[in-house]
Amino acid sequence: MAEKLRLKIITPQKLVFDGEVSELLAPGQMGEFGILPGHVPFLSTLFPGRLRFRTDGSGENTLIIHGGLADVKDDTVSILTDRSESLEEVDVAAAKKDTEALQRELDDLQDAGDSEREALDKKLRIARARVGE
Amino acid sequence: MPSLKQITTKIKSVRSTRRIMGAMKLIAAVRLQKAQAALTAYRPYSDAYRDVVLNVAALSESEDHPLLRVPEEKRNLHILFFTSDRGLCGSFNSGLIRNMQRYVEEQGEIFGNIKLSFVGRRGRDYFSKIGVDTGKYYTGVSEKNSHKFSEELAAALTEEFRVGTSDEVVLAYNHFVSAISRKMTFERVLPLSGQDADDGAENSSDYIFEPEKERIIGSILPKYVQVRIERAMNESLTSEHAARMTAMENATSNADDVIAKLTLLFNKTRQAIITTELMDIVNGTEAQRKGGNE
Repeated sequence: MAEKLRLKIITPQKLVFDGEVSELLAPGQMGEFGILPGHVPFLSTLFPGRLRFRTDGSGENTLIIHGGLADVKDDTVSILTDRSESLEEVDVAAAKKDTEALQRELDDLQDAGDSEREALDKKLRIARARVGE
Repeated sequence: MPSLKQITTKIKSVRSTRRIMGAMKLIAAVRLQKAQAALTAYRPYSDAYRDVVLNVAALSESEDHPLLRVPEEKRNLHILFFTSDRGLCGSFNSGLIRNMQRYVEEQGEIFGNIKLSFVGRRGRDYFSKIGVDTGKYYTGVSEKNSHKFSEELAAALTEEFRVGTSDEVVLAYNHFVSAISRKMTFERVLPLSGQDADDGAENSSDYIFEPEKERIIGSILPKYVQVRIERAMNESLTSEHAARMTAMENATSNADDVIAKLTLLFNKTRQAIITTELMDIVNGTEAQRKGGNE
């Protein structure tokens, strides 16, 4: 069993991260899950949220990812997501306002279609991840 | 022999054409740089996406999702053909069209009906003239709106495949190799069955899916088609900029040659006129002197 996991975080804009990590926590659609070296092959879709991983050099890292999917195979984890943000890029105050506005909007949404609700839900999750809730 | 005036006019017009082509070359070079950066960034994402999807498809049965349907018969082929909107890019479009014609002929022996949809004006202009069944048609695609267009196209193409009006979907585009080289590619995006995943799926019977496989497939398969179309758009746009840059570079240096030749002709003509005038003067004075002596 390998000691380390290889983590790749890939977005359409760039290869955000490619390196060795000792563990990883990801916001899976069925709840947050952790991956350690030696994990069985695993595929999960992801909600927007915070992705945490531990490296030797920089300790614990957190990234905000905008949904996507995680593929675990042969101690390699590929995270494919539309976008990722580091915590430094985030305007927490603005995100807080967003969560409130989006929550209200979602509550008012009664007879909208699934896709509309889903899009709004995704936005809300992104905003929440930025705030850190 | 043309007059001096005629030659100067000609030189002037070639110069101004050269200036325009030089400017187009510079614009193409800047666009190429941007497009290439975007493409280089997009490639790992789209390749990784394909690996995941093909892997899942290999582990699934055709009943799991409509997009995994294996057509019993090869009746309808839908090709999405990427060309450019504008010309002045050398053999970019003519090369694509030539290969496309051959491909349509080959596939015509397998499929009963072939439909072509287009991204880019040039391909459609050609194929609508020769009376091929043409479907959707998009122009004005650029790096800025490729995502939106690819979503629209993917939705239309997957829907057709789902309801069965097409049995196979192929993307035909120029794959960007380098600034001076590109390769026409035919990529089958649907059906997914029978395509090779890059890495073996032997040990993957114990793959865990979260949520269950059917739902994962439902969310990643349509997205996969979109990702591949966006990738093809990026490849094609980058190749187009590269082709235009090369074409304009050649045109500029050809214009330089023409200008050099015309300048030479101008000098020769001017020299000839001066010589004739000198001869006249010399002859004249000579004649006068002779007359004076007698």
